[in-house]
Amino acid sequence: MMSQITKSLLVAALAASVAWVAAPTSRASAQEIQITGPLAGAPAVRRLRQHRVGRVQLVVPTVGYTLQDEFSRSLMVGLGAHVHFTDFLGIGVWGAMANFAGAFQIDTDLTTQVITNGQTTDRNRLSMPSNEGFGDQIAQLLGLASVHLIFAPLRGKLALFQGAFADTDFWILAGFAAAFVEERADVTDASVCAGATSSAACLDSQTARNVRFAPAPMIGVGLNLYFNEFLGMSIQWRAFPFDMNPSGTDESGQGADGGPGGGFPDGQINAEDQRFYFHHMINLGLIINLPPEIQVSD
Amino acid sequence: MDFGSGEGGDADMDFSEGGGDSDMDFSEGGDEGGGDEGGDAGGGGDVIGDLAGNEAQPDAADRDRPERSGEAREEIFAVQQIYALRINRVELIPSYSTTLNDPFVSHSAISLGLNYWWTNVLAIGVNFLWYEGLESESDLSFFIRRSTRLAVPVSAYQFGAHLNFTYVPIYGKFSMFNEFIFQWDSYIVGGVGIMRTRPVPVVDPEVRNFDYDIRVAFNLGIGIRVFVSRWLAVFGEIRNYMYLEQLEALDVALGDDRLLQETWTQDNPAFTSNVSVHLGLTIFLPFDFDYRLPR
Repeated sequence: MMSQITKSLLVAALAASVAWVAAPTSRASAQEIQITGPLAGAPAVRRLRQHRVGRVQLVVPTVGYTLQDEFSRSLMVGLGAHVHFTDFLGIGVWGAMANFAGAFQIDTDLTTQVITNGQTTDRNRLSMPSNEGFGDQIAQLLGLASVHLIFAPLRGKLALFQGAFADTDFWILAGFAAAFVEERADVTDASVCAGATSSAACLDSQTARNVRFAPAPMIGVGLNLYFNEFLGMSIQWRAFPFDMNPSGTDESGQGADGGPGGGFPDGQINAEDQRFYFHHMINLGLIINLPPEIQVSD
Repeated sequence: MDFGSGEGGDADMDFSEGGGDSDMDFSEGGDEGGGDEGGDAGGGGDVIGDLAGNEAQPDAADRDRPERSGEAREEIFAVQQIYALRINRVELIPSYSTTLNDPFVSHSAISLGLNYWWTNVLAIGVNFLWYEGLESESDLSFFIRRSTRLAVPVSAYQFGAHLNFTYVPIYGKFSMFNEFIFQWDSYIVGGVGIMRTRPVPVVDPEVRNFDYDIRVAFNLGIGIRVFVSRWLAVFGEIRNYMYLEQLEALDVALGDDRLLQETWTQDNPAFTSNVSVHLGLTIFLPFDFDYRLPR
């Protein structure tokens, strides 16, 4: 999965580079106005409505959904706040809880298939003591919190059907996130699931849970639409990669290349079974800018 | 580019074709250039007549003019023409795409599209995607089989070809640090086409072998295009290619029936969504174009 994302990012960077190099005049738009237009010598933008500078931007609430989950999805509801030193730079915090503090679980179709058709044998009894209980052993995201820098290099406006207009800005964030994850508890005694059938102790190990804190970098991009001076909407994408064992199965014992195989299985469920995951999600949020009054540039 | 809160700052984006219509208000407060010129024109009188010294006897043309009771103040808007006209241009669209929603197989492809714009906001076109050799299967299938004894049927794609319609409902422009201006638009694309796919044998790979076959596919997506010049743009697009896939049967028939191809696939095809992200360039041809009205 990592290679897929990395490949996509590399291609995107390559495409952007080609476009940049191929552009005959990267400043064509702005220069055209400056040189030949009636506003020759004028800045590209006058009387810019500065939605960020000197204001606190509350994003309450944010509603999001995790993407590309293998076994369990998370509906994230949270809130965020940003303080901006300039119209393009600020700091922010954001936090969200998953599935209303674990009030429900959203299984993927794969989890449903495993519960229905998975088979427990002597060779995978530790990984899956029973197929019916597989839904209880998969990892759940409990919540996320982040502190980040936010950089908004692009300011503009858009027209929808030539009838509705909104100020917009495009932003990038980078910072640190704390992910709270609930996973299957460690199983260090391989004999627990060594019998010909799943013992009570083995079945108990399937439902035993452990909550841990996983630090992760966080990156994100977003588009803000401002309906008026103090209300708007934010569309965000955030990524927070960290190691995780989403299935609660025994996966360690990889070969020398780090791939599956080699010395599998090691007969334990522990941190060695975690794999790198590129967690990411989309968010929608309602923006409230305070104070309501906006600053306008020259 | 007026981002101001003044009178001219509201509803000041008109993307109609031609420079004479108010394409986009670049005025400061909406009254750029107004007033003085109009006033001079209204109160100035006949310059040639002044030079000739016959102020008391206006000629016939002057007598025919309507009397002006006050100073004229015409608002003159400085407007920008649409940066890159699309009408009657062809758009060449090379891109790279990969799957967003399939954790088992990454259906990556190189794609080439061709659009003809018959208005500034509507286009008809085709796109072709080549998948074979670019797809990759993740380790997840292996992990699932090893840990749960469950085989997950997967598919391989060879190519896709689609007829598409594109509509541009959203235009916009971004400024970067009050220095650069980037024009962009957002579009909706959708259409119908074919995909050539086949099941990948994972349940009984020793016996089963599948050939590629044609499926009818529908697609729907949204995208954003940022112009770098009047003929070149970069774009990103999310498009869902939907079709009915014939998946490998999870059961293995016993005896000689195991060799019958009729037993290799599931009874009913499965609805499949391949949500893909496209990243690439769009090149508008011809490179140059003429505006209907002068600047």
